[in-house]
Order: sequence, then C-alpha cells, then structure tokens
Amino acid sequence: MSDLLKTPLFDAHVALGGKIVPFAGYELPVQYKNGALKEYTAVREGAAGIFDITHMGQVRVEGVEALIFLQYVSTNDVAKLVDGQVQYSALLNEQGTFIDDITTYKINDKAYYLCINAVNRHKDVAHLQAEAVNFDVSITDESDETTLLALQGAKAQATLQALTEINLESIGYYKFARGKIGLAENISGGIISRTGYTGEDGFEIYIPNAMAVEVWDALLEQGAVPIGLAVRDMLRTEMGYALYGHEISDKVTPVEAKLMWITKLDKGDFIGRNAVKARKTEGAKKRLIALKLTERGIPREHYKVFVDGIESGEVTSGMHSPMAGGVALAYVLPEHATEGNVSIEIRGKQVPAERTSLPFVRSNVQK
Amino acid sequence: MSIPAGLKYTKEHEWVRIEGDIATFGVSDHAQEALGDIVFVELPEIGRKVDAAEAYAVVESVKAVSDIYAPVAGEIIEVNETLEGEPEKVNTEPYGAGWIAKVKISGHSDELMSDDEYTTFLEE
Repeated sequence: MSDLLKTPLFDAHVALGGKIVPFAGYELPVQYKNGALKEYTAVREGAAGIFDITHMGQVRVEGVEALIFLQYVSTNDVAKLVDGQVQYSALLNEQGTFIDDITTYKINDKAYYLCINAVNRHKDVAHLQAEAVNFDVSITDESDETTLLALQGAKAQATLQALTEINLESIGYYKFARGKIGLAENISGGIISRTGYTGEDGFEIYIPNAMAVEVWDALLEQGAVPIGLAVRDMLRTEMGYALYGHEISDKVTPVEAKLMWITKLDKGDFIGRNAVKARKTEGAKKRLIALKLTERGIPREHYKVFVDGIESGEVTSGMHSPMAGGVALAYVLPEHATEGNVSIEIRGKQVPAERTSLPFVRSNVQK
Repeated sequence: MSIPAGLKYTKEHEWVRIEGDIATFGVSDHAQEALGDIVFVELPEIGRKVDAAEAYAVVESVKAVSDIYAPVAGEIIEVNETLEGEPEKVNTEPYGAGWIAKVKISGHSDELMSDDEYTTFLEE
C-alpha cells in the first residue's frame, strides 16, 4: 500500500495524460502528454501555464502577538509588511541553518498566512507550535484543506481575470487580494497573490479543496496549459531560485546561500540570529555560485565542481536550459567563488564552465 | 506504439538492425516515450569495443540520465552526430534519424527478441 497523498486534482492530471510520480509525499504529474519541452515553451513564450502545487503547506498565524512572534521565528522584517503584502523569508534553527524558506502573507496585524514547503510541513508546524507557547498566538495548519494553484506566464492575468471579481491589475508584485474566485454561484473565497517561482508574471491562487476541480477546469477552458513538476523545476532553476534540499538545508546558513537579503540582522532578536552573525564575521564555509557550461553537457545535482583542478564543491541544481544551455547552481569553497578556472565533472570528464550572473535567462517579472 | 518488423529488440528497449556484419543501434518507441523529451545524447568514441548489454551511450531527458546498452557486441564504426545538435530526433524518429551508433559485429546475443516477441514482452 502506498502512503502517498493525492491532491483534489489527481484525476484531472491522469485525464490530461500526466505521468504521475511520487513527490514530497504526494502523487503528482512530472509532465503531461505533450512533454516537458512544450510545457516549458508555453510558459516562457507567451501563454499561461497552470501548476498544481497543492502539496505546499499553509499555516495561519493569528493572535495579538502574531507580529512579534513572526519577527522572532523568521528572518525577514515582518514589520515592513503592509496589509495585503507578501514577503519571502526563512525559518532558521539556533545554529542559523535553514528549517525552511517561506512566504509570509500579511492579512492584518493579528493575522498572517505562511506558505511552506511540502517536505518540511510537519517539521515547520511542530517548530512553530513549540515556539508559539511563549506568545499569545495560535498556529493552524490549513494545508489539508487548501488547494494551491500557480498560474504563470504572459497571459496569466488575462486568463485568471475571467474567473474572479478581484481586479487583478490592482495587485502589484508580491501583493495579494482576497475575494471570490470561480464561476459557480456558491463559490467561496480565496487568496490571489502576484507571486511565483518561474520568473514570469503570474499568480498563486489559494482556494478551498472543494473548489479545486472547478477552478482548474475553468482555467484550462480559458487556455491555460498544464505544467508538471519537471518544468516547474527548470523554470525556477533558470531564475536561480533556491529550493529546500538543494541550495538550502539544515547544513547551510543564509550567509552561504546568498540569502542575507531576507535575513535582517538589525531588526531585533530572532532564532538563529547570533549564529548567522557569527558566520558572517568568520566568513562563509562555502559559497553558492551560478555556472554555465562552455561545452556540451548537462550538469546534474551532486556532480563535482573543480576549480583549477581542485575539488571545490558540488552542483545543487543543474539542467539543460532550452535558452541558456547547461546551467548549474553549485557550492564551491569561498576562495573559488570568483577566482580560478571552473569545470564540472560529468561521467568522469571535466567539462569547462564559467561563472555567470543570475538569472540564467531574462526574468519577465514586473517588480 | 511503433514496433517495426525486421528489427530485433532487447528487454532494455533498444533495437538493432543487423545487415551482414554491421549492426545499427537505437532505442525503441516505447523507450523514447518513457524517457520523455531528450535534450542530450552522449555518443561513444569511434573504435570503442563494446560487449552485448554494455552501456555504450547516454541519453538525457529533462529530468533523467539513462544509459543505453548495446544489443550485440562489436566495435563502434559510426555514430549519429546529428544527435549532438538535434537530440530530439530520438523522440521523433526513434527507428530512423534517431539511430545512435553502428558497430562491426563481433558476437551475437541470444537475448534478442523479434518484433512479435517484443510486442508480447511489452504487453506482459
């Protein structure tokens, strides 16, 4: 017997020819019948791709001390958020390494909503509940009741506008609105944020499970193209976005992971702050860099990276980008972050690479 | 699912066309579909000697790296360099322009299946 979970859209994925794989405890489509490259093209070249990312977790944080609680458990400055704004942030442990990376949605001063990684859900919720004992705050795991869709690509706004009374034009980058989504008479409310993991304009849509099939079907009817996990990973890697278990984990701090921009050391005390401060002073143990092969080949996760012939680190995410070729995110020794000739070992051969800036392909996000 | 007559097939879903002492290798329609969009093919060196069932090439799809095994033993005499620029030919024409390598046969394998046997194998 499989212990894997199904999202409310499982049958819809199968009907669309989805190739189902186990992922983060769920059975999810890695690709649909037309193949990954066509899906990639749809998102990058003008259509709207729709992704079932229901596996991700949602946690509601409510109470009079919601703000000071989140200031203490997360790295970014939650006080900077206005109502209806989203912020990328992280949960660290006392060692300053990652428990998870998250997005924080501010509903109001006493109510926030966190979107967390599927693989970390139970760990995150247990951690938040343990820390919440010292605050006047309640933690509610709404993951099992919530369907999360991402709609990404140039046509995302036009595609979604047909389904909601929310004026999408008024939702800025990393902002959100709450309101009715769907076509039926008895539709209930949801959250639409202008966020994503692709480098394209688009939205993430939080709805109750009961609405999942209706909204999914309506978006397909509007011309949205279903996109599987393989292309989701390609799109995020091309942007250089970190993924838990790859670029970030409980082995690295924000200093190594290039995530000091979401780690506000001067906002006041928070879990992991002292450890991150110390790491910043003593210097990173390794550094995350972006690499592009200068000869044919595809870098893959865990391939070794050499600098001037010395083994320096390994690839954390690698792929063949249809637009940029063989690209990789990799950790290397700090002294190799900017100096020395880089190569990636592929099946015993050293394939030369060069350091490059991120994103690997142009982002179309309107900030 | 296309399974042309006149070719032999392996349990690893490769095909081989034997003409005299020359064999042409490729992957079956079933294999290319299971692999998904192929974005890279690593071809063997000319002159390399391979045993039957030895990995002689690598194909990479969007998500996976897969070894491709030789249906019969032989010496690589030609490789399909077109695949370096157009790896997708393995998907679109697995039995034609998507062939991978040719060998001068040095030994035969009794593991090969006819098209009918391979059809039955896939159904099982």
